[in-house]
Amino acid sequence: MGNMHRMILQKLNIAVMARVAIALFLATVLAQHVAVAAEKKVLKIAFRAAETGFDPQRIEDRYSVGICENFFDSLLTYDWLALPVKLVPQIVDKVPEGEEGGTRFTFHLKPGIFFADDPAFNGKRRELVAKDMEYAIKRFRDPVNRSPYSWLFEDKIVGFDEFVDAAKKNDKYDYDKPIEGIQVLDKYTISFKLRAPDYNFLYFFAMPIVVPVAREVIETYAADTMAHPVGTGPYILKEWVRRSKIVLERNPGYRGHVLNTQYANPDDPWDNDAVKALTGKRLPLIDRIEISPIEEEQPRFLAFMNREHDYIEETPFAFISQLLPLGKLAPAMLKRQVRVQRTEEPEITWDAFNMDDPIVGGYKPENVAFRRALILAHDRSQEVNIIRRGQASATMSPIPPGVVGYDPNFKAEDQEYNLPRAKALLDMFGYVDKDGDGWRDMPDGRPIILQFKYRANEQEGRQIAELWVKCMSAIGIRMTTVAVQFADLLKDRKVGKFQMSNLAWIADYPDGQNFLQLLYGPNTNISNDARFKLPEYDRLYSAALKLPDGPERSKLYREMNRLIVAYAPWRLGVNRTFSQFINPWVLGYKKHPILYTAFKYLDIDVPAQQASLEQ
Amino acid sequence: MGAYVLRRLWQMIPTLAGVMLLIFVLFNWVGGDPALVLAGKITNKDQIENIRKQLGVDQPAYVQLGYFAFEVATGFTCTWKSYTDKAEPPKLDAKTPGSAADSATKAKANSGCQAVRSWATNEEVPKILTTRITPTLTIMIPVLILETLLGVILAIGVAYARGTLTDRMIMMICTVAMSVSFLVYIIVAQYIFGFQLGWFPVQGWSDSFWKNITYYAPLPIALAVFVGLAPALRLYRSFFLDEINNEYVRTARAKGVPEKTVMMKHVLRNAMIPILTNIGIALPGIFVGSFLLETFFSIPGLGREILVAVNRSDFPVIKAATVYLAMVTMIINLLVDVLYKAVDPRVTFK
Repeated sequence: MGNMHRMILQKLNIAVMARVAIALFLATVLAQHVAVAAEKKVLKIAFRAAETGFDPQRIEDRYSVGICENFFDSLLTYDWLALPVKLVPQIVDKVPEGEEGGTRFTFHLKPGIFFADDPAFNGKRRELVAKDMEYAIKRFRDPVNRSPYSWLFEDKIVGFDEFVDAAKKNDKYDYDKPIEGIQVLDKYTISFKLRAPDYNFLYFFAMPIVVPVAREVIETYAADTMAHPVGTGPYILKEWVRRSKIVLERNPGYRGHVLNTQYANPDDPWDNDAVKALTGKRLPLIDRIEISPIEEEQPRFLAFMNREHDYIEETPFAFISQLLPLGKLAPAMLKRQVRVQRTEEPEITWDAFNMDDPIVGGYKPENVAFRRALILAHDRSQEVNIIRRGQASATMSPIPPGVVGYDPNFKAEDQEYNLPRAKALLDMFGYVDKDGDGWRDMPDGRPIILQFKYRANEQEGRQIAELWVKCMSAIGIRMTTVAVQFADLLKDRKVGKFQMSNLAWIADYPDGQNFLQLLYGPNTNISNDARFKLPEYDRLYSAALKLPDGPERSKLYREMNRLIVAYAPWRLGVNRTFSQFINPWVLGYKKHPILYTAFKYLDIDVPAQQASLEQ
Repeated sequence: MGAYVLRRLWQMIPTLAGVMLLIFVLFNWVGGDPALVLAGKITNKDQIENIRKQLGVDQPAYVQLGYFAFEVATGFTCTWKSYTDKAEPPKLDAKTPGSAADSATKAKANSGCQAVRSWATNEEVPKILTTRITPTLTIMIPVLILETLLGVILAIGVAYARGTLTDRMIMMICTVAMSVSFLVYIIVAQYIFGFQLGWFPVQGWSDSFWKNITYYAPLPIALAVFVGLAPALRLYRSFFLDEINNEYVRTARAKGVPEKTVMMKHVLRNAMIPILTNIGIALPGIFVGSFLLETFFSIPGLGREILVAVNRSDFPVIKAATVYLAMVTMIINLLVDVLYKAVDPRVTFK
């Protein structure tokens, strides 16, 4: 009886102990799970426009391109801290030197770099090889892809144009057919031979669209390559609700990298913060990134204010006065320890004259004087202070700050507002009121009625047009405005069916040539919407293409700037200044002038983030 | 009734053909050249021509119209192949990962046809419509139900109390409420209730229906109901007043029928005919959603999608949405007509 009792007790004890053990085990697992979940670093932000997709060779919008920075590795990139921007190798051993007079560039890929895992690879790890880069370059000219950046490789690489022509002729774009100027020398080496020297060619290989892609991935997902970005970068696409939610997660197979602090500026607090937060750490540090495209300004702003988002970039101008009254952080922001970084973007705006137009165009002294008078009468400070709410500065040259070739000492006095001088110029060249109707006429007596075309349903464009009308009225010039649908406006500009219109350009790569090409004569009907054709300018442009960055090329750029101001095909606009507001738990933040996203250089102080959210 | 429904269905075909012709004319002659929008910042003639060829906009108008009709009928496009497409069709075998919608297109894709796709994003247009309709309905169905219920209840109340201070006050509030733009309500409410008071999230959407309906949707729904209620209340009140002033109501009251029975049985039933007509007119709108609400509250619905498509000149999406709306409108009109019979047995189908 006693033994049985003892046995029953033992069994009971064993049962109880087993239950306790299981409970403890489960509690431990649960606690670990909770701890892991709690420690997971999640970044939430908004984009101010919707993305289109993530096939690097098929996209153009900066938001899609910005996301692609995280999926794909370009051969070169920009040092995160260096200013002015500096090209550095990313997945190649070094930045190649231009050989054969700047017509040959050879890249050596680092071995052992792998694509993110994907079913297209049939369960095997797929190493990056030089042929992937060759394939990607060929994709730019494949008509099926309708690549918006096909122009990068037009009239550029030896044999490429002939390859495309033959494909058209034979009705087959054959990726296996070699191109003379694209040579895969071995598994990891690719060499490009150019038709003519182009030292900016290297910049192409730092663009997040000029990145190697795996042919088997593209062919597997041929029906929708936009939704299947498979690269060698630090993040993978985890979830995508188009135009609503983009979720990135850390690529588990990513090799990792460390922050290069060589070019950090010790006087720059943003550099110091980044160095302090990231030095010695294996990047990337953030596990998950959730991006919401929010087109409307208020919800984007309020989502940041509500701490739903960790930072806000390109803060809408309408809310700047609330956050930065008189240029200083508002007390509420200071209390929240929010930081602000203000950056001048590598972009410009301008108002173009159609140089083929019989009234505003032409190259004769009276034509030039007329355009100059219009420019002198246009009060740009009103655009800066009222339309842009003080978040811009008047630009002095077509090359914006932060771009190689920018000359801070170049002053365009003929673009400064000067009403008496404008009137005097018009009077001097015979643009006076000849029929007594109160408005000025052409020297031959024809009436002047200028027309400004802008994009319909765009408030900014309408305000810019209205400012022109007001300013022209002040010198007795009649002007009308026409709102045109976007597609029609593009067409009108391309075929020269306009008199004046407002435009903007964001740097594709940080060299002045990317902006100066906008007035290169042969680019008429391509990108030179002003239809400016000045042989001297074209000669200088062609000569500059053949030179590397240096004093000799800077001299040519300066001379081109001078010609632009002198002939006045453009009324130079503004350089916009954007403000980025960052919550204190976001570490290492710094807005790069060219790279659009900063995810792989960020860290999050999770306890601080959670404490703030609980408030 | 069966013959009536069949006849109405038959009549939809020429109506839809008319709608399609109108859309086609509008987009092809007024809509501008989409190739220029898609070509990018730096373009040349060859590239524009290539894009035009791929989109099929280089074809004669009658050919384009024929293809458009085929696309509407099948959801697939089987033409406009560029020369490279002829090289080899996409290899879509059973192992290819993809969504259900992708799988459904495999057979067609292998035979050279593919689903109609967005020009801007290359996403399948049928998939766009089917995935965006759920968030739209999540918002719009509660809005319609609440707006109708509250509108009818309040309208019958104020109609009964016609001429009193309450009636006048409510009508005045309705007039003021109707004078303010929906956009103002959204901006103010989002700021006050979302940000200042923190009662609701400022914006957002999730994968969970329950979270959406309880967390993200209440503020947009409340706003839409509030804004829609004022005109509905005024309109329904007038319907009730028309009925209250009829002789049969006076007769019923003279016979001593209880006031509750007069209002709820006789007046309400007769007033429901024009109310139903009004709901029928509003009903197609719930399948498109409010682009203002969806844009401001980041709801991935159809209204927002159409707005983005318009901004991008993404004609396949715009065309599909327009045809879809026309079809929904015709079907709902038919359903409403059939419902008349259920509400009022005196109605006969001819």
